[in-house]
Amino acid sequence: MKRPTRPEVLSTAPSFVWLVMFVLVPVAIIFAIAFRPALPAGGIGEGWSLDAIRALGDPSYPALFARTIFTAAVTTVLCIAASLPVAYAMARLTPVWRSRVLLLVIVPFWTNFVIRVFAWQQILHAQGFVADALRFIGLLGENDRLLGNLGAVVIVSVYTYLPFAILPLFAAAEKFDFGLLDAARDLGAKPLRAFFSVFIPGIRQGVVTAFLVVFIPMLGSYVVPDMVGGTDTQMIGNKIAQRNFTDRNLPEAAALSGALALLVLAPMFLRRKEKTA
Amino acid sequence: MNRRHFIAASALAAASLPSCKPKGSTGDGDKKLTIFTWADYLSEEAKESFEKAHGCTVVIDTFDSNEAMLAKIESGASGYDLLVPSSYAVQALKRKDLLVPLDHAKIPNIKHVDAAYLGKALDAKMEMSVPYLMAPTCLCYLASKVPNPTDSWAMLDRTDLKGRVTLLDDMREVLGAALKFLGHSLNSTDPAQLAAARDVAIRWKQNIAKWESEQYKSGIASGEFYLVQGYGSDLLQAHQENADMHVVVPAEGTAFSCDDMCIPKGAKEIDLAHAFINHLHDPAVAASNMEEIGARSPNSAAYENLSEDFRGSEILFPADALFAKCEPIGDLGDSLSLWTSEWDKVKTA
Repeated sequence: MKRPTRPEVLSTAPSFVWLVMFVLVPVAIIFAIAFRPALPAGGIGEGWSLDAIRALGDPSYPALFARTIFTAAVTTVLCIAASLPVAYAMARLTPVWRSRVLLLVIVPFWTNFVIRVFAWQQILHAQGFVADALRFIGLLGENDRLLGNLGAVVIVSVYTYLPFAILPLFAAAEKFDFGLLDAARDLGAKPLRAFFSVFIPGIRQGVVTAFLVVFIPMLGSYVVPDMVGGTDTQMIGNKIAQRNFTDRNLPEAAALSGALALLVLAPMFLRRKEKTA
Repeated sequence: MNRRHFIAASALAAASLPSCKPKGSTGDGDKKLTIFTWADYLSEEAKESFEKAHGCTVVIDTFDSNEAMLAKIESGASGYDLLVPSSYAVQALKRKDLLVPLDHAKIPNIKHVDAAYLGKALDAKMEMSVPYLMAPTCLCYLASKVPNPTDSWAMLDRTDLKGRVTLLDDMREVLGAALKFLGHSLNSTDPAQLAAARDVAIRWKQNIAKWESEQYKSGIASGEFYLVQGYGSDLLQAHQENADMHVVVPAEGTAFSCDDMCIPKGAKEIDLAHAFINHLHDPAVAASNMEEIGARSPNSAAYENLSEDFRGSEILFPADALFAKCEPIGDLGDSLSLWTSEWDKVKTA
């Protein structure tokens, strides 16, 4: 690898300094706090201790991590599955319609995220239209709610992250040579076969990006499970908040955050390996 | 207007700003009392009358939990002249030596503070803090959805309400309620009592829709939930939206938490802060402030100034026998980790 030249160093310096100051240093501090003892009444003690790390061995954590990964994975798969046909259709539109539809995808972003989750609370309200309709056809019991379960968390998360999945897939589909699909058909492939064996591998990079931009933020999800989830949909983010604000056990909060950071880095490393391979 | 004109005009506007200050705001009037408190926790009237009497401005900054306030003060936040945390948080601040002792000579009105309340207050001698407002933690149900209601924590065990119940996302309130239900003090640090309370809380958890400290108000007002545990003053306010809501103080007793006024070390306007405490315990000011906020100030001289309606509230002024069963939430000190570990078991059960 060749050494970076002086102009290269200078031009990357601002963003490099920014990243060191506001990403690397805070993360290092979090990891350092994880090795501090917790004071019984809250706060960080003097000296060093492995208590917070050992606390991660608590038998309740594997279930919490598994649930977090499961919720994130289900959301990601549903997001990509819903976005693929959208990206395909958008890429086949005329340029004028393409930008109009693109605008429609982006416009909901102009409202505040929390307000959109509030809107879902109304849509899935236990006395709302949807619940009443489901009750009328006998699919929902008198006391059952649509909110407060894993389904609600996944639905609202998919809604929130959908544009993040559509945009990279659309960007990849836009560059895709649709002549390849005609060629596939000429060679005898049915439309579905052509879609899965030619189109999806053709926009592979877009799928990987969509996976990363949905899966990684989902792992740290906190607001959605808090607002539409129930007692058994807690994710790591909620646990960190509890440790921080209620228990005032900052070292354990830091240890959990560190574990979450490592969990987030895992897919990044996978991608790196794939790239160099 | 072209660019040069605009700049000139805005420079002129900026230069004329200081002269816009009202008369009398010079000299002593530049004093500023900064209060760190809960949102919507001081009536406009009480604030303005103080500003007028002392020629100062009152600046309010808010926190949404005692723990958040503690974290901020502990990490060295300065510039506050008065804090209004719950009693147990005052004890935590005191233990960490972050408070200034009060000078009673500057607060003549504390003679109005209810002696019966002080009997069970955490700072009975008011060395560090003076009680401000208090309200009980209540149960609230929708009368049309809950047949045969009782005024007991046992309501939380009713399986016919399964999935439509919420509990506060707060270990002190939930384990405290379970301790009260079992007939113990809600500040118990006895491991056996806490373990029993944990089992009760786990049983309640099977029934609830979620842990909720904020949206239980809109939740029950809109019919999403049928039974909620919540703070008295919040529920009384929400009650105005939905007359079907019934608020009860559980017969076994509950947390009657009080928020206290105290002065942090490093306060700049210590005299003014004392004057403010004194102002809020003036019987007339205290009475109008109580009615505005919907909470009770333990100021017995102010009670006669209250409207009959407000004085008759069974929530804020429960019968003596019931009030005797209520306790303020105490400081756990070193037992915090014992509570935290039991609460963790409830959360993961």
